[in-house]
Amino acid sequence: MLASILLSTLLSVFPADTISDYYEIETIPTPPGLVAETGGLSFLPDGRMAACFHRGEVMLYNPKTKTWKLFAEGLHDPLGVLALSNKELLIVQRPELTRVTDTNGDGVADLYETVTDQFGMSGNYHEFAFGPVRDTKGNLYFSLNTASNGAGIRDEVRGQYDALGRQGRMYACVPYRGWVMQLTVDGKLKPYASGFRSPNGIGFDAKGRLFVTDNQGDWLGTSKLYHVEEGKFYGHPTSLVWRPGFPAIDPLTLPVPTLDSMRTVESVAFPHEIMAHSPTQLVVDNTGGKFGPFTGQLFVGEMDFAHLLRILPDEVDGQIQGACVPFFDKAGSDGVALRIGNNRLAFAPDGSLYLGQADHGWLGDRGIQRIRYKGGNPLDITAMKLTPTGFDLTFTQPLDESTARDLANYRFRSYYYEYHQAYGSPQKDVQTVNVSDVTLSADRKTVSLKLAELKPKRIYELTLGKLQANNGQKKIMNHFVCYTLNRLAK
Amino acid sequence: MCRFLCLLGVLLSSLTVQAQRDTSITISSVGGLQFDQKRLIIKPNTRLKLILENKDDMEHNLVVTRPNSRLRVVEFALALGSKGPAQHHVPIMEEVLAHTVSVEPGRTDSLTVMLPEGAYPFVCTYPGHGSVMYGVIYATNEPKRLPPPKQDLNIPNPNRTAETAHEHHQPAASGHPYPLKLPAVYRTFMPDCGPAAIAVGLPSADGVQSYVFDAGQCRLRYAWSGGFVDNAEQWDGKGQRFTKVVGEIYFRDTDQFPWRVGKTSTSPQFKGYRLVNRYPEFRYVVNGVDVRELIKPLATGRGLIRTFTLSATKQPIFFLVSAQPGIRLKSSVGNLQYGEVSLPPGTRQFTLTMSTN
Repeated sequence: MLASILLSTLLSVFPADTISDYYEIETIPTPPGLVAETGGLSFLPDGRMAACFHRGEVMLYNPKTKTWKLFAEGLHDPLGVLALSNKELLIVQRPELTRVTDTNGDGVADLYETVTDQFGMSGNYHEFAFGPVRDTKGNLYFSLNTASNGAGIRDEVRGQYDALGRQGRMYACVPYRGWVMQLTVDGKLKPYASGFRSPNGIGFDAKGRLFVTDNQGDWLGTSKLYHVEEGKFYGHPTSLVWRPGFPAIDPLTLPVPTLDSMRTVESVAFPHEIMAHSPTQLVVDNTGGKFGPFTGQLFVGEMDFAHLLRILPDEVDGQIQGACVPFFDKAGSDGVALRIGNNRLAFAPDGSLYLGQADHGWLGDRGIQRIRYKGGNPLDITAMKLTPTGFDLTFTQPLDESTARDLANYRFRSYYYEYHQAYGSPQKDVQTVNVSDVTLSADRKTVSLKLAELKPKRIYELTLGKLQANNGQKKIMNHFVCYTLNRLAK
Repeated sequence: MCRFLCLLGVLLSSLTVQAQRDTSITISSVGGLQFDQKRLIIKPNTRLKLILENKDDMEHNLVVTRPNSRLRVVEFALALGSKGPAQHHVPIMEEVLAHTVSVEPGRTDSLTVMLPEGAYPFVCTYPGHGSVMYGVIYATNEPKRLPPPKQDLNIPNPNRTAETAHEHHQPAASGHPYPLKLPAVYRTFMPDCGPAAIAVGLPSADGVQSYVFDAGQCRLRYAWSGGFVDNAEQWDGKGQRFTKVVGEIYFRDTDQFPWRVGKTSTSPQFKGYRLVNRYPEFRYVVNGVDVRELIKPLATGRGLIRTFTLSATKQPIFFLVSAQPGIRLKSSVGNLQYGEVSLPPGTRQFTLTMSTN
């Protein structure tokens, strides 16, 4: 009794300060009869949102009138849309990249043009196609999932068949499965980068650099975010059979150290069970503050957890690496809960973030929600930079000195995930890393931590204690931060 | 002792399970050109022994066909003409899965067949019998999902007309936030086609006429009537299972890619389609020649009118189309002979009418 009185008194003195004090979730009603497994979201110049769904519908949503209208239909599992104008959409569906246009102005598409279909289909269900996204020069990119040995292939396939790519759990027996493709401005389709397994997220960071997410499984000890550059190989071997000049061998017969030496490692790993099971689309916060204090950062969707991920980028001697942190954890919110299955993300002109949900035979949910920034300044981490001796952590506002200087509020573990053919990887060589010193910047926003030891090719998982700001009024929103240390700082 | 009994019990039950995978069913042909059973339901991959007992006063056979293939098998059987009796009126084609011999009145014969999940017609292919004397074998683990017999399009029902068949396309059943409106297009995984398939359903006076266009090979693959498609399994889960044909397939293109433009042959390139009053007009390029293909149903009866529009070229153009039983072909230009139409120089448009009447 006494305890509950004490608790309620405490609660009234110190309001909970959760993420839902700053952001709110709204569920967007979808039309009756629509099975809203969302494959793509994109905003038209006039402010309407295009959404495509598993059963082939493409619908336009007007946020002002909250009404839906059918734009196109009959597509084969469309998993991405990019609005080119108010009457023209680029959509990637299983067999091709398609431009869908309303040419006669009646509000409904009448022209479905094949932009490119120069890639193979074995008929295996796992051969999804994701994208498209466009760089500042106008080049388009999309990504092609490998096939799964959970099912076979068709007697008739589209494109050249290569039995050497048919081995393994996830396979690439037709071109260019496991690749990111580039369609140049002059219409040439190029296999751009290889080594992907299930690249269900493709997009650019604030500097216009291409990033792709990939899903934990065979050859991926955990899910990842790659910085993708032309010609590079990112580690899942089967797609190598489609690399020009690659010898006529099954790539799985190459020794793991050889494959390891060929690959480009991830920029940011998403530790399994903590951060992500199945990362999805990535979008950059280009809202200029309309979405809160994280302008310029990447947000990444996730299928199995009721949170998004936020990327804290770092660059060490040319190596792009960095940290991830959860964003909008369901557990820390009041009001409408964020659902799981956040497959697609798109910023609306008003700065709110629309989330398209899907399950698609796996874990997930269906429908569309949006996250709106209500105002205020949540206490959260905005940067994690590697130093020669440890990490600099920067926060959204000055920290309360007593909590910030308390070494017990910074606990590190470090480990790595093994690169091997098996499905996933346990955390290997888990070590506790002591923090030997903490200093606070003059503006009290940056904490410099000195670690007992720093080693490359490891993940540094930081658990933050009860950091506070504004004399205890503000509480840290997220306690977990995972930094992927590829290269040491000199 | 108890342990022994339990073990015996386990053994017996596993034997029973084993036994269920081996089924024997007797069907009788009775008067009035019909089988006494028209709907058989078995588990998938059961070894089915089907015994035909002829209780009628004339000869019959029993042929099990691939799904949706009764009509074509019947047409091909009819086309055997004078060769029919020698092969028990059973055409040699891959759609025939198993068959009995001709069975005289009072005699029996049997066939054995292993059927994966699906709906398999069985039919008597004696000339004139096939249009009424048939039934269906459902190999399924979910018998509850089958249509009630009165609404089952796979069994003969003299009281059912094309109109009532049409009613099955109810708005609520479309699976979309709108009623299904014909013509309708679905890009999906279809059986007997490359993986880049486009299923199209067309309205017609006699119900629904449908076809599949292969976007990978740029050609019509097959056509059927009596319904459009069932997407339930394709839409469920991860999308591995095929969309199902609803109705009877009456035409299959068993040839190669039909166009010959100039002397060299290159792969055609699919360019998409335009909807003309909801009818898709496909576009593809063959050796530099732009081809547009618009497919409409016959005004009455089963069949399609394919209208081709070509860009200008000086190269000679041929359209290959083999004759096949049950299909009448008519070209608006040139002569259709030796399985090809040679287009007169300068032809920019022509129609090919495929009818079954």
